[in-house]
Parts: sequence; structure tokens; C-alpha cells
Amino acid sequence: MTHNVDSSPRAGLPWARTLRWLVAVAALVYLPTLLTERQIFGYALSNMQLLNIGLSQVNLMLITMLGALSLNYLTGSAGLISIGHAAFYAVGAMSAAITGSQWGWPFPAVLVAAALSGALAGLFAGLPSLRVRGLYFVLSTFALHYIVVFIFMEYQFKFFDVVGVPYKAAELGSWALNTPTRWYFFLLPLVVAVYWLLHNSLRTREGRAMQAMRDHELAATANGIDVRILRLKAFAFSSSIAAVGGALYAYYLTNVTSEFFGIQFAIQFIAMIIIGGMGSLPGAVVGAAVWLLLPSIINGLAAQAGDTTGLVRSMLVDHKPQLVQAIFGSVVILLLIFAPWGITGMVSRLQAKFAARRAKS
Amino acid sequence: MTQALEIRDLSVRYASKGLALDSVSLSIPKSGVVALLGANGAGKTTLIRAISGLLPLHGGQIVQGSIQMDGQSVLGVPAHTLVRRGLGQVPEGRLVFKQLSVEENLKVGAAVLPRATEKERLDGVYALFPRLLERRRQAAGWLSGGEQQMLALGRALVTQPRLLLVDELSLGLAPLIVSAIYKQLDLVGKTRASILVVEQNARLALNFAATAYVLERGRITLSGPSEEVALSAVVKESYLGAIKQEREA
Repeated sequence: MTHNVDSSPRAGLPWARTLRWLVAVAALVYLPTLLTERQIFGYALSNMQLLNIGLSQVNLMLITMLGALSLNYLTGSAGLISIGHAAFYAVGAMSAAITGSQWGWPFPAVLVAAALSGALAGLFAGLPSLRVRGLYFVLSTFALHYIVVFIFMEYQFKFFDVVGVPYKAAELGSWALNTPTRWYFFLLPLVVAVYWLLHNSLRTREGRAMQAMRDHELAATANGIDVRILRLKAFAFSSSIAAVGGALYAYYLTNVTSEFFGIQFAIQFIAMIIIGGMGSLPGAVVGAAVWLLLPSIINGLAAQAGDTTGLVRSMLVDHKPQLVQAIFGSVVILLLIFAPWGITGMVSRLQAKFAARRAKS
Repeated sequence: MTQALEIRDLSVRYASKGLALDSVSLSIPKSGVVALLGANGAGKTTLIRAISGLLPLHGGQIVQGSIQMDGQSVLGVPAHTLVRRGLGQVPEGRLVFKQLSVEENLKVGAAVLPRATEKERLDGVYALFPRLLERRRQAAGWLSGGEQQMLALGRALVTQPRLLLVDELSLGLAPLIVSAIYKQLDLVGKTRASILVVEQNARLALNFAATAYVLERGRITLSGPSEEVALSAVVKESYLGAIKQEREA
């Protein structure tokens, strides 16, 4: 949360909270059944009642959340802006190609290797932060992006071909991740674990020092914090998570090319944390969800409205992709204008308002 | 006897500009309270930065001279390690960590201490400023100016520094709050720390400190016991007088 306003005791009783948790867990566990069988407790649901969302999209969203979470950690909590997050996804994908596709390592080992190579790349990418600040540092991460993508491309053409790098089937021992539902039950706990890890790390001494560095570098130094080491650590930690995301992305799609990791891939993460709420972990989750699911919802709505005639029809049917993008863009712009603190920031503000009103009456 | 702080012939230059400090010498005895007076741009903050090692961050460079804390040179020592050597600072402008809570701010200050002593030290600060205890879960950015200054001071005191640098504590605060904070600072000075206060409010500083130095355009032009400095014509005219006029206006 951005603001820690005088904490009134959290609304609700302990059992209500537990109940809410249970319902949330049950909903998350039931979600893949709902999305694959397209019915709820025997009642068939139309596509639009399910918001035109499929389980594959949810899985991709979960993988993307790793990137959004780690970038929000870096930018929102440590105050370092990076356009290089797609590069770390690429590092993860490339490390997975070497260890998995070429050397035949098992899937879990591939993920560990991706995490390590991501941390190493992050350390390297963080080095300019020792000398340069602000926009100059952002530019250095921008340069990093092109270097990594170039290396990936060279690598791809040397060992594979234009079609891309193929990845083996993901297996955890004898449990093959061969259906969206299985992937879902692998990814969900992973994302929850990463969330929990980041959440807790912000409450350690180093986590607090990082936030202090974000708020005031000078004052942080005056309090005995070595901001340079801390920056490198934050960078390595964040990119290690992003690289795991990259390896998962590659395995999930079973084939990637260097073109996947374009600059728009990097910018999407920045957009997600702005939409969701800078510096807030729930914000990263919400932002990733909006970014990946909203286009498909708009798409579904456009398809349903397609029975009309004339100009509207031609707009909806013939120019659907552009329309979807235009609506999506407008929604994002509206969010930025009316909720610059992001969706989670907006929600917590509304909650505070309601609480104040309740206290008055 | 070694001094808490001993500065000799210190000259500082900022890139491509002239000297910001010109052969400045200043010493603070153990458990002494010293005031540094001077107008805007006289070099007060530069001197603080030179002591605390933050000069390079501002593009400044020590041209000559020496700075010793407890008899050991601190020239070229990285700023963040000085905290462990007993230096505490309250930077100008109440630089609290706005998005962290009051308690988290203090914990950042306490991070150089062994974990076991953390709670005790926090309680010590809360005893000095009960206001902080009341607000301990509140984000620091939501505190009033006076409370933020208490927090900045508390954050520096949590490590129980042997030498405390306080830069422009009274800036932009109501006189009542300033005197309340100085009262608590006085307690700290009586118990353990040597203190260097930098102030534009000369009257306040001269009442508080035993010794005073006057800095003008990078040079020390006057120094001595506070009473004597207060009586000197220069100080009366340009510092104490100025305050009087302001009040009349």
C-alpha cells in the first residue's frame, strides 16, 4: 500500500476473514473447471457470461504476473525504473533453451538455472546504477534490452532456425504439465509463493532500507545504508524472478523466437504496474490481470455486438482488432487521468472514504 | 585529549566554482555542544556534508585539510559506514521516508544495531518524543512539520551517536515546536552526545550551545563561548538584529 493511514482496526471479525480466505481459495481452485467445462454447477454458461476468457489466458496472465510483481518490487519499492524487464524474460527463455532444449536438464533444474542466470544478468544490468541516475539509468536498461535481444537472435539462428527455439514438454517428475488445468495448478502456487516472498522481504531490514532508499537516497545513506549494494541486490532479485517467468513463458508456449521479446513486451510491464498501482504488490497482480484479460473481454463484447448492420457492423467486424486496441487504450488513459495511483490505490481511497462516512453516521 | 570532532584548515570546492569553504578550522570537545552560525550560502551545509561524507554526492571535493572524529580521520570514508563509527545526522529539510510508517522510519535508523537492542532503542526515542509513539503506525509523509522533524531527529538518535550533526532544525517550524524539540535535544546533549547545530536562528543557537562559530562566505570569522559571540558587534548587527527587525515588521 502506498499510504498507511492511521490504521483503524481492519473491518470484519476474525472468522469473517477466515471465511473470506476460504471462499477465495475455493474460487481459485474451481476456476479451471469453470473455464474448461464452461458451466457452473451444471448450468451451462455462454461465452460472454465467462467474459470470453479461457484458461490459457489465465495461465499466461499468471506467468506475466511474475514479471509485473518483480518489476513493481524494483520500481515501486526500490525506486529503480527499468525498461529491461523483457530482456530478463529473454535471458530466462535463453537459459531454458540451453539447459533444457540443448543439455536436456529436467524442468525444475531448468527453472533454477533460469533464476540464477537472471540474477547474474540483473547484477550486470544493475552496474550502471552505481554511476548514473534517473533517466540515464533508464536508458542503460533500454540499451540492455537491445543487447540481450540481439544475443538471443544470434543464438537462435546459430543453433535453431527462423521458426524459433523449441522447448521440451514440462514435467515435474512423472507429472507432465500437459493440460492447461495442470499448468494452472503449477503456476498458481508459484505466483502465490513469489508474492508471499516479496511481501515478506519488504518487511525485513533490507526491505525497509530499500524503501528508504526510494524515498530519499541521501537520508538513507545518512542512516548507514549502502545504497549501491542495495540497488544491485534489488536488481538481481527482481530479474531472477523475471527470468523464471521467461523460462515458464517459453515452456508454456513450447516455442519462442527472439521477436517475442520486443520493446512492447518490456513496456507492457511498466503499463501493468502503473495501471494496478505503483509500489503495491496487489497492484501488480491487478495490473497484469487487466492487461491480459481486458482485451479479450472487449473482443468478446465486440463479437457479440456484431449482429448489427451498416457502419457499426463494419467497425465491429472488419476493424475489430483496431477497435479493441482503441478501447483498451482509452480505458488505460482514463485510468491514468482519474486514478493516477492505480486501481488498488483507487480502491483503498474509496474504502477510506466509506469508512469515514460510516464513522460519521 | 582528543576532540569529538576536529576540523583543520578544511577547504572545499564544488566543480568549476570557487571555494565553498576556505581553511575552516573547528573543534567540538567530547560532550560539547557547538553552534555554527551563518547566512544563506555561507557554507554551513557544505561543512556538514564534508563531515558526513556526502560531499561527493553533491559534486563537491575536499581540496585540503583534515577531519577527525575521535582522533581518527574520516576523509574518504564512505558516508554509510560513518554511522557505525558513531555519527548521527539530522539532514536539512526533514528528510523522513514519507511512505514508511513512523516506526519503520526508526527501524531503518536502527538497522545498523544488533537486533536485540532494537526495541530498547526505539523505546528510548519514544520516551523522548511521546508524540511519535502515538503516531507510530502512521505514514511519515502524513505527519506535521514538527512531528517530521522529531522523527528525523529520533531516527538519528536511535543509534545513540557520539557525534550528532543537526542541520537547520528550526526551518519552517513554529517557535513553540522548535523550543520543544530543542529542549529534548538538550537532554541528549547533557547525557552523552557531542552536538553540532547549524542554525540561521542565531538567538536560538546561541542559547543552546556553549561554543559558537560564525561562518561568512566560506571562512570562520568569529568563534568563542556563545555569550561572547552574542555580544560581538558583528553578530548583534547581522544576526540577532536581523531577527529583531523581522519581528517588528
